Amino acid sequence: MGMFSEGVDVVCTPAGEPLELTWAGRHYTVCAEPVRWYERRQWWVEETRAPLGTGPGLVDHEIWRVQVRLSDAKAAPGPEGSLTLDLTRNIGSGRWRLLRIHDALRPQSA
Amino acid sequence: MSFTHLHVSTAFSAHYGVSWPDELAQSAAADGATALACTDRDGLYGTVKHLKACMAAGLDPVVGVDLAVFDDGGDLRTQLAGRVVVLAHGHNKGAGYRALCRLISDAHARTSGKAGGAVPVAVTRAELASRTLHPETLEPVLTVLIGPDSDVGRAMGGRRYLRPRTLFKQWLDGMPKGTVAAEVVSHLSAPGQPLSTAHAVRMLKLAAEHGVPAVLTNAVRYCAEDGAATADVLDSARTLKSLPELTAEPLLQPNGQGWLKSADQMLQLGKEIIHAAGYGTTDLARLLGQTEALADRCRIDPVTDMGWKQPVVPEAAVIGIDGDPLVELTQRCEAGIGRRFPGISGEAEAQMRARLDHELKIIANLGFAAYFLTVAEVSRMILDMGVRAAARGSGASSLVNYLIDVSQVNPLQHDLIFERFLSRDRATLPDIDIDVESAERHNVYRRIFDRFGAERVTLMSMQNGYRARGAVRDAGLALGMDDGDIGEIAKQLWRFSARKFREALVEKPELKEFAGRVEQRDFAENQQLDLLVDLTERLDRLPRHISMHPCGVILGDATLLDRTPVQPSGLGLPMSQFDKHDMDPMGMLKLDVLGVRMQSAMAFAVREVIRLHPSKAEVVAAGVHPVGPEGTGPDYIAADGHIDLNAVPLDDEPTYELIRSTHTLGCFQIESPGQRELIGKMAPREFNDLIIDISLFRPGPMKSDMVRPFLEHRHGFAPEVYPHPDLIPVLKETHGVTVFHEQILKTFDVMTKCGLARADEFRRALGNELLEPKVEEFFRKEARAKGYTPDVVDKVWGTLKAFGSFGFCKAHGAAFAVPTYQSAWLKAHHPEAFLAGLWEHDPGMYPKRLLVAEARRLGIPILPLDINKSQAEYRVERVGSGPDRGKLGIRLSLNGIYGLSGAELKRIVSGQPYDSLADLRARSRLSKPSIKRLAQLGAFDTLHRESGGAANRADLVQHLQALQNRPSKKGVEVIEGQLSLPLGDVELRNLKAELPAPTMVENVRAELDLMAVDVSEHLMSSHRPLLDRLGVTTADKLLGLRNGTEVLVAGVRIATQTPPMRGGRRVVFISIDDGTGCVDSVFFHEAQELAGPLLFGTRLLLIRGNTRRTGPRGISISASMAWDLSRPETLPFPEKQSTGQRERDQQLQGPLDGISRNLAITGLGS
Repeated sequence: MGMFSEGVDVVCTPAGEPLELTWAGRHYTVCAEPVRWYERRQWWVEETRAPLGTGPGLVDHEIWRVQVRLSDAKAAPGPEGSLTLDLTRNIGSGRWRLLRIHDALRPQSA
Repeated sequence: MSFTHLHVSTAFSAHYGVSWPDELAQSAAADGATALACTDRDGLYGTVKHLKACMAAGLDPVVGVDLAVFDDGGDLRTQLAGRVVVLAHGHNKGAGYRALCRLISDAHARTSGKAGGAVPVAVTRAELASRTLHPETLEPVLTVLIGPDSDVGRAMGGRRYLRPRTLFKQWLDGMPKGTVAAEVVSHLSAPGQPLSTAHAVRMLKLAAEHGVPAVLTNAVRYCAEDGAATADVLDSARTLKSLPELTAEPLLQPNGQGWLKSADQMLQLGKEIIHAAGYGTTDLARLLGQTEALADRCRIDPVTDMGWKQPVVPEAAVIGIDGDPLVELTQRCEAGIGRRFPGISGEAEAQMRARLDHELKIIANLGFAAYFLTVAEVSRMILDMGVRAAARGSGASSLVNYLIDVSQVNPLQHDLIFERFLSRDRATLPDIDIDVESAERHNVYRRIFDRFGAERVTLMSMQNGYRARGAVRDAGLALGMDDGDIGEIAKQLWRFSARKFREALVEKPELKEFAGRVEQRDFAENQQLDLLVDLTERLDRLPRHISMHPCGVILGDATLLDRTPVQPSGLGLPMSQFDKHDMDPMGMLKLDVLGVRMQSAMAFAVREVIRLHPSKAEVVAAGVHPVGPEGTGPDYIAADGHIDLNAVPLDDEPTYELIRSTHTLGCFQIESPGQRELIGKMAPREFNDLIIDISLFRPGPMKSDMVRPFLEHRHGFAPEVYPHPDLIPVLKETHGVTVFHEQILKTFDVMTKCGLARADEFRRALGNELLEPKVEEFFRKEARAKGYTPDVVDKVWGTLKAFGSFGFCKAHGAAFAVPTYQSAWLKAHHPEAFLAGLWEHDPGMYPKRLLVAEARRLGIPILPLDINKSQAEYRVERVGSGPDRGKLGIRLSLNGIYGLSGAELKRIVSGQPYDSLADLRARSRLSKPSIKRLAQLGAFDTLHRESGGAANRADLVQHLQALQNRPSKKGVEVIEGQLSLPLGDVELRNLKAELPAPTMVENVRAELDLMAVDVSEHLMSSHRPLLDRLGVTTADKLLGLRNGTEVLVAGVRIATQTPPMRGGRRVVFISIDDGTGCVDSVFFHEAQELAGPLLFGTRLLLIRGNTRRTGPRGISISASMAWDLSRPETLPFPEKQSTGQRERDQQLQGPLDGISRNLAITGLGS
């Protein structure tokens, strides 16, 4: 497992769940129900200001754990060929970043 | 769809909740909620505010508490097993609320009431179970929510998979049926973590498995997402650990999702949980349905459940009456007429009767007769204890209060308006404040508990919120900053609200250095400073803890403890969780019993007078009191010499003469430099002048320049001006200037005929943004209709608007003026006893040494410390020998000597007299350092003299020092009951005379160092030769100088003040004492620049300035420059000093040299 912080383009369902994503020029499709949670940030290290009225996103960020596979791959359904990624969405900008890549061949369960 | 939040902590959950009740209520209402809970931790601290906020927002309040539960399996006194939320059921005539109050009191009953006690606030499960059912019907009145913070919820993260179920079963077994619900909470934290959806699912399934209702909450700590960071800082402040430390533990909230989510968001959350549980839509509907069903059950009716705004007073039987309270009150007033108005008749009687009827009618209408009787009962009880008491506040406006002895002020004489105190338009219990001797306050509290019964009395509490200093300390702690660094920053913060920190950084010169550091954001450390400022602002005003209110006592009937939870106070007596803002809404009768040191000092003086002069004739002679036509002296002095201060007529000429002399140090309210100046200008001749003086000396009138026109008119320098002849009767006593609230009321009434009750409502509306325009509209319309010209209406409205918000209630002024007059009376007639009382109780604003200097100025001998004559308190004594023979002097007390413990003091006094040092050592068991210090202060001088030894004090001190350095060996124990031979003091007699006797300067230095008082002579005396060469003028000579004369004055600092001034420029007032009196000087901007660091740092000052005559007896100095007297090389000598002289000056050491310990000497600071 590695830690990343790369930009990712994500297409979501109307309810806000990731559906497809583009990462490093390749297209992926979400192939299992994603899991979402909120994780604490060490905001007192990462931020220089925390004035009243900063709003959401100071103390935590939203994490989506998605299982994806390449959209153009013709591989059979199954765990092989799928990747488990942790994505985070910046609440302010709405931009997505890739946070972690889990071992590709070991599907993660929540 | 609407959703009801059933688990919400407000800011009144100290160091936990973030948002104020009204923010939460408004936010919930805006989202369409119909009810909202307030479940503060450990108590109902925010409940009444919550009720108020809910009523304003149109919500039904739900009331509960978040409580810790003792571990049934562990040590029942200290081990906890999580927290639960307990909600009161509503619409059951208060049964639920009652049970909740009692439960919370149970939880606090074992705690010590002191910070850091070993026993936590918690209940046992058995206690909880016993409170959940109605004692008679056995219906459930409380619901306990078992949620994520309970032992069940906390076990979900553990490895023992079955543990939560076991614990849940224990709850179900331990609690009556129908009193438990499962609380399902997801903060959407990482899967498997506390507050994750997975845990919520398990709780939901447990509930389903056991057929227990489940409710959805969000365990709210803040109104919106933004509050999460503040919650983090509060967690740090509560646990005293920094955020990095808390992260490591991990003890912080897992994320920032605990806000008051909207109904839509809660529905979404419910869907996620139900989905994760593998349930369907009917289950979702059930979860939400059960939540709303519980909410409905817990909707509280403020009136029928909690007694909203229904005043409750002690039962008639308790205050000793069996009939109608109104009849009783009327009878007591009748009885009072004979006492208060002996021989009244004719017009005066008619007026008095009319007023009495008027007041009684209003009291009857409001049903407050029992309230007045209760206050009278407390007042009588205090007086029966022999404790001085005086009512103050607007209560003095009431004739009824005067007749039933609650107040000492005759409202008719001073033209006080009852409506300022109570009117039919104002149905809240009025405030009656009683000042008592400070030294007796706790005894008075205990007696009130005894008299009314512990079930009817509790102390009021107060909320202590974050202010700048505390906030910056806790913000620094959270960030893990260095303690010392934070301490330095905190020291600079003074008198501004934490919320304005960033603003203050720009404005305040003392924060310049810190602001500079914040600016440099490049360094990691300074980044932290920026955050520090933000976090400090976040903490501003948030409640930190509650404490005993300094004077509030709540009185009720036998149901009081059903209506407020109580917890131990530091004093040992129970304290309500409600503060002063909660009294009125909860219909609670609060008495302010305030400890006033001046009352103690005056009581002390009266006792000293009797002790010295144990008969009426002696007191009359000693105090030069009028002997009267029969030659027996006045009625206010009893046969045994006791003076009834409250009966002293208010027209004693020597008293006014003393006040006009401006030598009012020690007199209540009129001793400050500013007041002495005002008194000098005003020259009071009668009691009403004192009332006006006290009312004028307020920030408002001083700032808005009301004082100058008043004085000009008073002294006839300028003609009095009235906006309209109709207002002459209203404003005559203050020469056309509006000073009193009462005048504002009458002005409204005269010009609009609105009646005094409405006029008081109008007065209250002044300064209120919303209401004032309506008052203005009414006033203008009605006054015009009554025929006043637009010009007059404009002018009068201008006055009302300007002065209405800060004018002073004349009744307050009158009540204050009584102790002012009484203290001045004592000073004029019995100065020795009065000063002894002042030294003993230290009531004023000055260092004690100034009041000692005042005795010296008055020629009262100050008798030194003496091991056989000094007591544990100051004593007036007839001087037996020497030049002062026959005079009354004041003997110093053994109390307040540096290093002498209370136990040592007691042993010394109980063992007196001593015939030798050995005797003293054997019986008082004083420590060696204490004996040496007593020797330094001359306490053994008499003993020494009597022993016939040739040595002096210095020899003795040296001898004792040597003993102190030697290791002590066990001496021969004197066997109990066997007395040593009366040999006199061999030790003292045999001391060798080796050293020169200590100089006066050395003696005074020891006195200052060990007692903070210069006794043997004034500390300026030794500087006198130097001052003479400088050409310094003494305080007593200033009055003889012309206005504007340039002078040099010198003395020791006694007061420094920087009051807010018109125009905003800082003005510094420095008062010094030179032994002949006080010199008050004022430093304007330019002089401040010149004097620089001397302004606040120096103890001994030389000041150059010009005299400013402020009145017939008032003079002060407008300073132009200042020097530090202890640095002779800097001083402006008129001619060149010879080298020898200069060297001598350099070596000259004043008594203050080398003393750094005691700031109480100079009254440095604000």
